[in-house]
Amino acid sequence: MLPLEKSYDELYAILEANSMNKDDFVVALHLDLDTNECFQSMWLAITADAKTLWRFNAKDNSAESFDLDYVSAPYVDNFMTTNRMLALLHKDKIPSREEGEADEDYKKRLHQYHKAKDTETIILCCGTNSIKRRLFAFITIWERIVRGETVSEDDPLFEQFNAKCPKCGTVYPDQNRKICENCANRKGTLIRLLQYFKDFKFQFTLVIICMLLSSAVSLSSPFISGKILYDQVIAQPTYDESGTQITGLLHEEKYVYIVVGLIVGLALFSLGIGILQNRANAYMSTHVTKNMKNYVFDAMQRLSLSFFNNNSTGRLINRVNYDATRIRSFYIDGLPHLVINVVNFIGVAVFLFILNWKLTLIVFIPVPIIVCIFKIMLPKLWRSFSHVYRRSSSLNSMLGDSLNGVRVVKAFAKEAEESARFYEFSTKLFEANLRSNIISLMIFPVVGLLIGISSTAIWGVGGIEIMEQRMTYGELTTYIGYTGMIFGPLNFFSTFTNIITDTINSSQRYFETIDMIPEIADDPEAVTLDEVKGSLTFDKVCFHYVPNRPILKDVSFEIKAGQHIGLVGHTGSGKTTIANLITRMYDVISGSISIDGHEIKKIKIDSLRKNIAIVSQEIYLFRGTIADNIRYARPDATMEEVINAARAANAHDFIMRLPEGYETRIGIGYRTLSGGERQRISIARALLLSPSLLILDEATAAMDTQTEKLISEAIDKLVEGRTTITIAHRLATLRNSDILMAIEDGEIAEMGTEEELLAKKGVYYKLWTLQTEQMKQVAEGR
Amino acid sequence: MTDQELNELDENLFSVRKSIDLTMENSRFFRSEGNLISLELTKEDGEIETFERIVPVRAFPLSDPDEFISIREPESKEKGKGAEIGFIRRLSDFDADTVALLNEELDRRYFIPEIKKINSLKEKFGYCYFEAETSAGKVSFVMSNPMSNIRILEDDSVLMTDIDGNCFSIHDPLKIDKASYKKIEIYL
Repeated sequence: MLPLEKSYDELYAILEANSMNKDDFVVALHLDLDTNECFQSMWLAITADAKTLWRFNAKDNSAESFDLDYVSAPYVDNFMTTNRMLALLHKDKIPSREEGEADEDYKKRLHQYHKAKDTETIILCCGTNSIKRRLFAFITIWERIVRGETVSEDDPLFEQFNAKCPKCGTVYPDQNRKICENCANRKGTLIRLLQYFKDFKFQFTLVIICMLLSSAVSLSSPFISGKILYDQVIAQPTYDESGTQITGLLHEEKYVYIVVGLIVGLALFSLGIGILQNRANAYMSTHVTKNMKNYVFDAMQRLSLSFFNNNSTGRLINRVNYDATRIRSFYIDGLPHLVINVVNFIGVAVFLFILNWKLTLIVFIPVPIIVCIFKIMLPKLWRSFSHVYRRSSSLNSMLGDSLNGVRVVKAFAKEAEESARFYEFSTKLFEANLRSNIISLMIFPVVGLLIGISSTAIWGVGGIEIMEQRMTYGELTTYIGYTGMIFGPLNFFSTFTNIITDTINSSQRYFETIDMIPEIADDPEAVTLDEVKGSLTFDKVCFHYVPNRPILKDVSFEIKAGQHIGLVGHTGSGKTTIANLITRMYDVISGSISIDGHEIKKIKIDSLRKNIAIVSQEIYLFRGTIADNIRYARPDATMEEVINAARAANAHDFIMRLPEGYETRIGIGYRTLSGGERQRISIARALLLSPSLLILDEATAAMDTQTEKLISEAIDKLVEGRTTITIAHRLATLRNSDILMAIEDGEIAEMGTEEELLAKKGVYYKLWTLQTEQMKQVAEGR
Repeated sequence: MTDQELNELDENLFSVRKSIDLTMENSRFFRSEGNLISLELTKEDGEIETFERIVPVRAFPLSDPDEFISIREPESKEKGKGAEIGFIRRLSDFDADTVALLNEELDRRYFIPEIKKINSLKEKFGYCYFEAETSAGKVSFVMSNPMSNIRILEDDSVLMTDIDGNCFSIHDPLKIDKASYKKIEIYL
């Protein structure tokens, strides 16, 4: 059985129940939906003689068979979340290839046969998106074995299901989740975050010590002011029944100064360590945030293009900015306070019980009620906060959208509507804010009232205790001082769970990016190419962006060094994809691409991209001077080289007309250049790189005729002596090509010189006639 | 090249089917032998065209599932290029049998099982592993980054997207059983 599925155990059991032999089958596919689209484990299997397709239902081990002499042309109907494999059921046997029949003739005959009306479309199987990739691989295998080809276990087709961990080389247990059980960081997210504080051990310890000290100071202050200052210094000496002095031990004037001095001193000390702590904190936190942002930006730069296609820029910016800050604030404002509050809570509780356990019971009466209120109300509060958060981010999105599209807004005179839309969003935000304020205003005054009642009750009960001489007045004030301190930690603990969830979410997003493995990475044995001649080979290249829409199907061709190739074809026929594959923006699904005989997967990406330049229709110029933009790819180029490149790109003249010449700043907020000017700068940029292989992807499609002429002159200089691939709609752009390739439906329909293709009267001929006829019609004024 | 040749070429290169408004009068939908939907279309000039299999697509699948339904050719080498055959303005204008026939197919196309109960929800290495009972049977699925893949829509229903792009919905999260709700509460 071919290794399409990880395990065939379930199928083998079904086969046994049907008394079939597993060795009679060559490949099988597991499905997660039945043909009525309900979740159900099903199997499709093809026999080794490629004559029969079986469908098994794991529910009752039932089996149905389809005769492959009558069933053909499987294809997948891709729905939003499900995929249905359909095939044609024929009344007559599918024609087989006759002895000595040419490939093309047989294909034609087969096509004719398929077009016949009396075929019926049947449903073979259904599956969710989870099985999509395997479904397409299954169809490929089916088609191959029916054609009589053999598919071996190490066919490149299976590579996509056997992605390996680049660190240790084991195949991922689950292909969709590229997490290697060996290499995954087993430490908890929060512990893992601590690594960013590793270089700040000193500051971190200092902060903790400072906090412990200040907590000790705050714990001692009610004691000093109550038990010592009032009871022993201010109060008159009193004695208990056995004659032991209880109060007034230090009833002298000098002690008033000493104790008050001590209190003031402690306050100053606490202020001092507060300043120290904040300084250490500020130093550490800004450094940690900076480092974390740098790491995540680095990680993003390593990732492949597809990552950026799947994630909006706004989201990524948020990841760099918001998440790192959020995590930092947990370690700065969250964790140390947790330590302090735990210490405070335990300390206060112990003091309270030591001072007077009966009173303490009174203090703790409202605690369960408060905990209940928090438990019921706080989730509501968090939910209202998340409402506020979501609404404010949709307000931001609306704002960004509207400001970015201000030209369209003005062009259609939609200012009033945009304002109305903004009011709508801001009203929604206002409502959410109001609601969350109301909730928090309901919680905290009630809690405050409960605390107030219990404190007042303490005065009452404590007063009686004093009158009956079971307690001194100083003890009571100390005691009340401590009760005030117990609700602070309680309040903190209730908010802490929310801080934790928030931080964990942020850190998961953060580590998701940090841990993400680039889809395209250097092979460990990759070589550096010093000198590239520029010959290029495509060998049976297959590619798709999404599995159900194959872009390239078994494309093979060869380009000799220095040749100029023109690529023509309809939009979406796969021309740009070829450019993307050569530069390894994406990797081929199967097959191989080689430059100078080296497979590009075995060439260091760096050295590959340094030898290939793309000039495309999509130009991006960075904010900066024109000179910086031209030497973006080669920052070490001299200004002389920059000017020569600009001259060659026909850009020198317009640059010199700008008041600041090559030092003119371009980009948003600075000078804007016209499309043709920008294009010429991008050509100069490519020229300066002096690549061995040059790809021009519709480089002049958006230009007017005069600008195109200027640019194509520039391009003609650029392509001299280099392997060049020109992609274009307009055939005139391709007039300098040695060989033309017409691409249709992901296959190379025709390849040859212009004369050859015109003589063939195929795709190229059609396009050519159409464009020349159109020109003629324009010329004749029809 | 003569004009006629040119027109032929034009047709070859840019042949586009003209979409027709489909009504009870000009179209008859019926089930094909392969359990799919066939269409018999009477054109304006009286010509009858039969499609062995058609693909219905909703223009507003979320907000207006009953109106604006495009009837298209399948996209396969043998059976058509996926062009629009015609357009149904309002599905309910058709007879009950046709509505049922098309709706059954449409519901399969927009397959979003409704979660009735969450049996278990575990988190490991940043992925959430769900086991749930849905309107289409028991299912287990995996979700990454639940904060962005569990979305609350305008009508307060919940849409969940798993790692493969499969979707699940909870019509009213407050109405599912308490134990299930507790499991997803933190993501809402």
